[in-house]
Amino acid sequence: MTERSEVALNRSQSSVARMPRPRPTQLWQLELRGTLARRRALVIKLAFPLVLVIPLVTTGAPPFFAGMLLTVLFAMVGTVGTGVTITRARGSGWLDRLAVLPLPAWRVGLELFFAGWLVDALQATLVLTVIAIADRPDPATLATTWLLALSALAFSGAIGLGIAALTDHAGEAMLYLAVVLAPLLFLSGLFTGVPAVGFRYWVAQVLPFSYLHEGFQLLLGGNPPYGDPLSFLIAAVVFLAISLAATAALGRAILARTS
Amino acid sequence: MNDLSLTKPWLAAAGLSRRFRNGRGVGPVNLTVGPGEVQALVGPNGSGKTTLLRCLATRTRPNSGELTWFGDGDRQAARAKLAVVFDATAHADELSARQNLAFFATARKVRSDLWEPALEEAAVTEVGGDPLSRLSYGMRRRVLLAEALVGDPPLLLLDEPTLGLDVSGCQWLAEALSRRARTGLATCISTNDTDFVEQVATRVCFLVDGNAVRDAPLSDLLAELGGTREIQLSYRGPSPAASVRRVEGVVSAADATGGLLILARQRDGLLPDILATLGDLDAHLVDLKVQDPGLSDCFLKLTGRPLHD
Repeated sequence: MTERSEVALNRSQSSVARMPRPRPTQLWQLELRGTLARRRALVIKLAFPLVLVIPLVTTGAPPFFAGMLLTVLFAMVGTVGTGVTITRARGSGWLDRLAVLPLPAWRVGLELFFAGWLVDALQATLVLTVIAIADRPDPATLATTWLLALSALAFSGAIGLGIAALTDHAGEAMLYLAVVLAPLLFLSGLFTGVPAVGFRYWVAQVLPFSYLHEGFQLLLGGNPPYGDPLSFLIAAVVFLAISLAATAALGRAILARTS
Repeated sequence: MNDLSLTKPWLAAAGLSRRFRNGRGVGPVNLTVGPGEVQALVGPNGSGKTTLLRCLATRTRPNSGELTWFGDGDRQAARAKLAVVFDATAHADELSARQNLAFFATARKVRSDLWEPALEEAAVTEVGGDPLSRLSYGMRRRVLLAEALVGDPPLLLLDEPTLGLDVSGCQWLAEALSRRARTGLATCISTNDTDFVEQVATRVCFLVDGNAVRDAPLSDLLAELGGTREIQLSYRGPSPAASVRRVEGVVSAADATGGLLILARQRDGLLPDILATLGDLDAHLVDLKVQDPGLSDCFLKLTGRPLHD
């Protein structure tokens, strides 16, 4: 290395060292940075859905079953990610600390949820990117299914928050999550399809997982009976709004519970 | 501090009770903390100190009684004026002390130019950029305390504040709390570290089995011990506690971890009389220490039980 390049390198290093790193002043920033700092865990979290989706799209798995697996995966990611994280936060005393800050409970709930949801959204984006590259779907369907995925993750996260308000133990939270999610996934028609009439038809209309399942089927070359981009878009917006409202409301319940 | 009342207590509990289903907990307790006071809640393990502090810190709702902060019962409004340290050192452990402090200080609307001095005072500047997960327990406790002390909150509540701190850490904290008291700020600590309490407290509330057995100025409590001595008697054989209690001048005697703890009024012939009881019981003296009495002897005198089992 020449003397000049050494000087330049030193200058650049010292300017980097002097550059003030913005500090996290909001809870969601603190939580997100904490997640990003756990690099190995982050890589595993982002990579593990790919382990599932790459074989599914490259082997031409039937769209109904491939969509079912991906929907179950997204539902689990949202609920477990939020539910177990919040339960652990209570056990460690972190929620105690947040509860005595002059921050409204709804905001604490929303910020805790938002930080996790951003990482979940990144996971979903990677999965849909793989599908987009492999199957080259219609852009409108891709975009609305992506929004649906984000919305379903938010809905799952709200369920996770609700579970976290009920228990102090991560293991127990997992059990509750399975008990709540299994019927919801069944009623969403993931395992049997959605009937054309009757109670189960109407229940499926008010669950985001049924729309997401249909979206995945469309992306993967399937032909679900009800799916279209406009209904996906409306469903995504509605479920996102419901999830955010539920999350804000659950903030108080989460902080009120003391371990 | 312009919006803070100097006539009303900054923290007032009237008939406060928080009992759990198993009957444990605390209360009813009456307590007030005013500006410039350092109130210590002292008691053995399980006496209800932490439960009481959690109620005072707005974290736990009492079952009954009235609780006001700065003359107002609004918990959310109170949180803008208080800072709390619980016994757990929960942080965003992957992030640094600077990053953690930035969040907590911002949440309490503390000016950013005060952040770094707070870390300096806690002597954590050198490691302020390291992830907290790499720091020792004691250093993480210092960061926790710095996060609470930054910006001088009008009311500070600390649960077991000396936990994990070394001698210099305890000294720093004692100076910080004394400075707060001098500037008219209020502090409430829950601890059974009586040496620390004697350094910083203005009032002491003794708790036993969830009940407040005495709440008085520290100076009054220590004055009541005038003319007495603390005798620590280590022995082998049957406990001489009952016999020692009958010795003239003995105020209280109870078995503790290190042997028999005795509080007695000074008089000629006291020690020979106490040692004679050992001989009567066929017990053997192993060690004997006589010293000035302290706050733990107040507790012994009040309850007949040692503070530290």
